[in-house]
Amino acid sequence: MEIIEQLQNEVCIFKLNGRLDSTTSHQLEEKIFVAIKNESNQMIIDFEGLDYISSAGLRVILKASKALKRSEGSIVLCSMQDYVKEVFEIAGFDAFLPIATKINDAFEML
Amino acid sequence: MPKETISFKLDNRLSELETLNKKIDTFGVQAGLPKKCVFEIRLVLEEIFTNIAYYGSRDDRGHWIKVSMSCENNIITIQIEDDGIPFNPLDLEKPDLYCNLEDRDIGGLGIYLVKHYTKECVYKRRGNNNVLILKKTISPDL
Repeated sequence: MEIIEQLQNEVCIFKLNGRLDSTTSHQLEEKIFVAIKNESNQMIIDFEGLDYISSAGLRVILKASKALKRSEGSIVLCSMQDYVKEVFEIAGFDAFLPIATKINDAFEML
Repeated sequence: MPKETISFKLDNRLSELETLNKKIDTFGVQAGLPKKCVFEIRLVLEEIFTNIAYYGSRDDRGHWIKVSMSCENNIITIQIEDDGIPFNPLDLEKPDLYCNLEDRDIGGLGIYLVKHYTKECVYKRRGNNNVLILKKTISPDL
């Protein structure tokens, strides 16, 4: 998996390409928690280039959401492929995680 | 549709996930499966495989996981056999999907996804091995 990290108007954006699974999820976890440690508390995760996620990936997103809530920050996910979005819905994650259709909308949902 | 079958053995190590995915892709091409269906098989097998790799053994001895997949009359049958300690993943409790974020836990979610994406799951202890048989209908692309 490739992770591209950008900072835009104090919002930390992670663009994911490839597969977020048991062998790659720790890479994202590491980057997210380095950002949180560096006091980033607004985050967008762009799923446009991501074609697969398993519960290992969901675990990292859940952990990040909890940490950001504790620091009064926020997280928005965006641009998910249908299969990936379905996994979030089955897991019930769409109940507490805002999911935007496009990255531009994600900024407004933070 | 003619019957397509594939069978292979992996070591009980997380690094074998890549080999597992390559085999699933090969099976998907051979059986002419839709993209969404291949995605779901990958998800189901990763969840089961990682469960076994994490919890399947309590010793340093090398362990194996044998996977076979077949496709006949629009039904995919997946059998996963391992020589680890007796462990029925289907016994894991269903996660609470409706609690608030703070109480939300990831435990049991992988197996919950497996149950969602399959039509039938059966666990058997056969001799010294765990055997899990999953049946899945072919889902069309969205």
